[in-house]
Amino acid sequence: MLYKSQAVAKPYFIAAIGLFVGQILFGLIMGYQYVVGDFLFPAIPFNVARMVHTNLLIVWTLFAFMGAGYYLIPEEAETELFSPKLAIIMFWIFLVAGALTIVGYLAVPYATLAQMTGNDILATMGREFLEQPLPTKVGIVIVALAFLFNISLTVLKGRKTSISLVLLLGLWGLAIFFLFSFYNPSNLVLDKYFWWWTVHLWVEGVWELILGAMLAFVLIKITGVDREVIEKWLYVIIAMTLITGIIGTGHHYFWIGAPEYWQWFGSVFSALEPIPFFMMTVFAFNMVNRRRREHPNKAATLWALGTGVMSFLGAGVWGFMHTLAPVNFYTHGTQITAAHGHMAFFGAYAMVNLTMISYAMPMLRGRSANSRSAQTLEMWSFWLMTVSMVFITLFLTAAGILQIWLQRMGSNPMSFMDTQDQVMLFYWLREIAGLVFFVGLVLYIWSFFCKKGEAHFAA
Amino acid sequence: MPPGDLAIWFFIFAELLAFGIFFVAYAFARAHNVELFNESQQHLNIASGAINTLVLITSSYFVVRAVAAIRQNLARECARWIAAAIGMGGVFLVIKVIEFHAKFSAGISLSTNTFYMFYLSLTIFHFMHVILGMVILAAVMLKARSGGYSGENHAGVETGASYWHMVDMVWIILFPLVYVIH
Amino acid sequence: MDTVHRPHFIRSSTIVWLALMFLTLITYAIGEAKLGGWGVMLMVLGTAVIKVQMVSDHFMGLRRTRWLWRGIVLGWLLLVAGLVTIAYLSAVK
Repeated sequence: MLYKSQAVAKPYFIAAIGLFVGQILFGLIMGYQYVVGDFLFPAIPFNVARMVHTNLLIVWTLFAFMGAGYYLIPEEAETELFSPKLAIIMFWIFLVAGALTIVGYLAVPYATLAQMTGNDILATMGREFLEQPLPTKVGIVIVALAFLFNISLTVLKGRKTSISLVLLLGLWGLAIFFLFSFYNPSNLVLDKYFWWWTVHLWVEGVWELILGAMLAFVLIKITGVDREVIEKWLYVIIAMTLITGIIGTGHHYFWIGAPEYWQWFGSVFSALEPIPFFMMTVFAFNMVNRRRREHPNKAATLWALGTGVMSFLGAGVWGFMHTLAPVNFYTHGTQITAAHGHMAFFGAYAMVNLTMISYAMPMLRGRSANSRSAQTLEMWSFWLMTVSMVFITLFLTAAGILQIWLQRMGSNPMSFMDTQDQVMLFYWLREIAGLVFFVGLVLYIWSFFCKKGEAHFAA
Repeated sequence: MPPGDLAIWFFIFAELLAFGIFFVAYAFARAHNVELFNESQQHLNIASGAINTLVLITSSYFVVRAVAAIRQNLARECARWIAAAIGMGGVFLVIKVIEFHAKFSAGISLSTNTFYMFYLSLTIFHFMHVILGMVILAAVMLKARSGGYSGENHAGVETGASYWHMVDMVWIILFPLVYVIH
Repeated sequence: MDTVHRPHFIRSSTIVWLALMFLTLITYAIGEAKLGGWGVMLMVLGTAVIKVQMVSDHFMGLRRTRWLWRGIVLGWLLLVAGLVTIAYLSAVK
C-alpha cells in the first residue's frame, strides 16, 4: 500500500465478501427449492430468494467496484484520496441501506414494501434486478455520485493514466445508466427498452470497462510489464467492447415488440461481443508470459488468468450460443439463459473482484502477499469455485437443452411444469455443485485468516 | 509488422469481420427472397453508387500520396494530400446524403422490406465509418501540419491511412453487391 | 525500404489507381445495362475481389509485410466472396 488513504478500500472489500456469502446462501436455498418446491415456504418463497440472490450479487459487485476504485485510483493518480472521510461515510450509508433493503425483502411482502417506501409517488419497483425500493435507488445514486466525486477529484489533482480514465468512464457510465431505472413507462415495449438500457448497458457495456481497468491494474502490478503495452491493449479492448456492446443491445429486442431489423443488428453485433473477451484472455496470458518480475502473490496471478478464461467462456462462448435470433427463438428464457448468467457473472465480475481483493487485501494488511500455505489454500478455493461453477453451467445447459427439446420442439410439446419434472436430475446435480462452490468460498475467506507460514513483507 | 500502429489492425480486422458478416447475411437473405431483392434493387441509383466508388478510390490514392510524401519528409505536402482525401470524403458524404434524401422522401425506411433494411443499414453503417475515417485523417493532418511527423517517424500517418483504405475496401464490395449484382 | 519513396512507387500507385477507376466503370456499365445471371455475377464479384486485393497489396502496403497480415485480409476476402457466391448460386436454380 503506497498511500494511506487506500485503506478505505478495506471495509468495502470485507463487506463485498460478506454479501457474496449471503448471495451464495440464498442461491443454495433457491437451488434446493428447485427440487423441493415448498422448502422454507412461506418464510422465504422462491421469488423472494431469487430477488435476494440477484440483488446481493449486484450490491456486492458494486461494493467491490468501489473498493477497487478507492484502492486503485490513489495509486494510479499518485496522490492521496480527495476525502477518505467521505468514503467511509458513504460506506456506512450504503451498507445500512443495503441491509435494510434485504431485511425489507425478507420481512414483508413485496407489495407491502412497495407501499411503505413510496412506490406510488414514483413507481420504479417490480423489474427484475432493479427491484430496490425508491429510497434504496436514491441512496445508490447518492453513494455513487459521492464516490465518483471523490475519485474524479483525486484523478484531477494527480497523474492521469489510461487505467484511471477507463475506470472513471466505466463508473460514470454505471451511475448514468442506472438513472434509466427511475423511469418505468406503462407501455410494455418502452418499459423493456429502459430496463435493458440499465441492465444490458451495465453488464455488456460499462462494467466491461471497469473489468478491463481492474484487470490491467493488477496485471501491471504483478507482471511489471510496460504500462504502454498494457494501455494499448486496454484501449483496443474497450473500443471493441463499446462498439459491439452498444449495438449488441439489439439482441434483447428480438421478441419485445421492437422492429424486425433488430433481429439482424442484434444478432450480428452481439455475435461479435466475444471478441473483446477473447482479447482479454490473450492479453492476460500474454502479459503474464512477458512478466519482468516474480510477484510473490501467485494466487492473485491465478485469479487474473482465471478471469480472462472464465469471462471468455461464460460471457463469450455461452453468450454466443444463444444470441443469434433464430436460435434464441427456441432458447429464450430457458435454463440456457441461467447457465450463461451464472458463468458470465462469476467469470467476469465475481472473478475480477476476487482478483482485485486477492491482490489488494494483503497489501492493505501491510504485506505484499500472504504466506505460502495461505496462498495454497486460496488456490484450492480458486479451483473449487471455478470447477464447480463450470459444472453448474454444464448441468444447467443440459437442463436447458432438454427443456427446449421437450417443451418447445416436436409435435407434442410438454407443459412447463411437466418439463421441469423431467430435468429434475440436473437440478439436483446443480445443487451439489453449488455446495462445492460454497466450500470454495469458505476456503477463500479462511485463507485470509490462515496464520501458518511466513507472509511476504518486501514491497 | 503491418504499416502503422498494431492496435489499429485489430480494429480493422474487427471491422472487416462485422462488414463481412453483414455481406454474407445479405446474400443469404437475398437467396430466400430473390424477386423482392431484384425488384427493390432497380430503384437504387447505380450512378450515384458508382461515382462514390470513384470518389473513395481517388481519396485512397491521395492518402497513398500523403504517405509517400511524409516518407520523403515533406510534411506540408503530406498534409495537403490528406486534406484532399478528406475533401473527397466530404464529396462522398454529400452524394450519399442526396441519395438517402431521395429514399427517405419516397417513404422508404428500415421496415419497408428486407432489401431496404439491408441497403439502409449497410450504407448507413458505412457512412458512419467514412465520418470516423475523416475524423482520424483530420487529426493526422493537423499533426502533420504542425510538424508532428517526419521521414523517420510517421507511424501515425500510416495508421490513419490504413483505416481509410479499409473504409474504401468495404465500399468496393458493397457497391457491386448491393447496387449491381442481381 | 528505399524503393518505397522513389518516384516509381508513386508511378505504380498511380497505375493501380487508374486500373481501379477503370474496373469501377466496367462494373457501372454492367449495372446500367441491367445484365444479370450467374456469369455476370461471378464477373462483377471477381472484379471486386481483384480491386480489394489491389487496395490491400498496393495502397495498404501489405505486400511488403509478413504473409500473416496479407493472409488475414485475403482470407477474409475469399471467405466473404465464396459465401456470397454460394448464396447466389443456391438461389439461381
